[in-house]
Amino acid sequence: MRWFIAQIILSPLFALAAGIFFMGLFRVIMARIQWRYGPPMAQPLIDLTRLFSQKTVSHGAIFDFGILLSLAGSLVVILFLPMGNMCPMSGSGGLLVVLYLMLLMPFGGALSGGGGANPNISIGISRKFILSLGYEVPFLLVILAVMTHYETISLVEIAQHQQEGGWAIFSWSLFLSGIAYLLIFPAMLGIRPFDVASAPQEISSGINVEYGGKYLALAHIEHALSLSIGLALFVNLFLGGGSNVGYFFLKMVVIFFGGLCVHAVLPRFRVEQAIKYLWKWPTALALTGLVIAVLMR
Amino acid sequence: MAHKYSLHAVYFCTGCGIIEIPPVITARWDAERFGVIPVPTPRQGNLFMITGYVSVKTLEAIIRSYEQMPDPKYTVGFGSCPINGGMYWDSYNTIKHLDKYIPVDGWIAGCMPRPEAVFIGVTHLWTLIDKGKADGYLRYKKNYASYRKNQEALFGELGWPPLYELPNWKKEETISKR
Repeated sequence: MRWFIAQIILSPLFALAAGIFFMGLFRVIMARIQWRYGPPMAQPLIDLTRLFSQKTVSHGAIFDFGILLSLAGSLVVILFLPMGNMCPMSGSGGLLVVLYLMLLMPFGGALSGGGGANPNISIGISRKFILSLGYEVPFLLVILAVMTHYETISLVEIAQHQQEGGWAIFSWSLFLSGIAYLLIFPAMLGIRPFDVASAPQEISSGINVEYGGKYLALAHIEHALSLSIGLALFVNLFLGGGSNVGYFFLKMVVIFFGGLCVHAVLPRFRVEQAIKYLWKWPTALALTGLVIAVLMR
Repeated sequence: MAHKYSLHAVYFCTGCGIIEIPPVITARWDAERFGVIPVPTPRQGNLFMITGYVSVKTLEAIIRSYEQMPDPKYTVGFGSCPINGGMYWDSYNTIKHLDKYIPVDGWIAGCMPRPEAVFIGVTHLWTLIDKGKADGYLRYKKNYASYRKNQEALFGELGWPPLYELPNWKKEETISKR
């Protein structure tokens, strides 16, 4: 019981710390790739401190409620995700609940944007939902292949199977699904070439336009948590989870570094180009992967 | 402390001064070392940089952007035009003194100032913040009636309600004018 309560507290804290670390790593590595010196690693923390101490303007109850809903959604998802050996809600739900709850994050953002009533927010939200329409198709096919192969919907069991019998991405039956997941990964994290929803040069950072001060700080925290969620899901599904938190974190860093290298060199897709890409190659690979997974049972 | 090292800048690209900003924020001079990064909207920023001459028409946008930024906020005039009009000293539609309309915490003089001057400006702003002298947002609140009076003298009726409550004599004056 004591370990259960400790997990409920520690698991979101670990995800938050990891997410803020990733945001710092993001800025430093991008700077080094562009031959700059870059900010210190703690820069996101300094920014958060500054934002929390600024005066803010609210645009009404929905505006406040939406951002809180989005934050609460990501915190609840983390309770259902195994982080190394920590998974407070391992007994219930599994992958299906995670899929369902992951919708709360963009939904909260959309609600909050409705309260903000800025045209840039509407464009940002519509782009975000169109993009998620694009990657949900291959994503669900990949998830279906994994669930068919391991004959379970529990994320903990999927990770345990892999720790005993080798990582899923290196197995014959799930190799193609793993590749498909890697191809849609930038779209799920919202990094280039799929950063249409938060494009600062086109639509003034989309959903975040009206956020300032504390709201922007909450939005940053939500972004940090969603980074952790995206990476943790991939590590659990294809890289065998982790026997402890440190090992799990190391795998997350490696995947994130790969994503950064893609982010650094590619320009931004337009939204219809993104859909065209997402529904062509990743979907074809994921579908083939599903067929192979069913045939090799 | 955190305000010092996390200056998120809104560059108001009015005139030729903006040409010096890309080298400042990209690989050659890299302002991110100092925690200075550009942000897309005034709501997210706390450093307001006016880069170049200010015509009467853009001043309206400048005032609105300034009032949208969350406190505490710092304003820096970049180049000689916002200071005293610069080469537009006798122009009919350019304002000569920016600090009559919004409070300015510091100036970077020159025509054009080099990117190094921006960093000297930023480090100087740090010392001002440490000493509590970068108090433009407080002065704006305290002397709002006189700033508003200057703005109205230029534009006539302003298209937005006052940011802070005006003193009673000022309210009566506005009503009698209508």
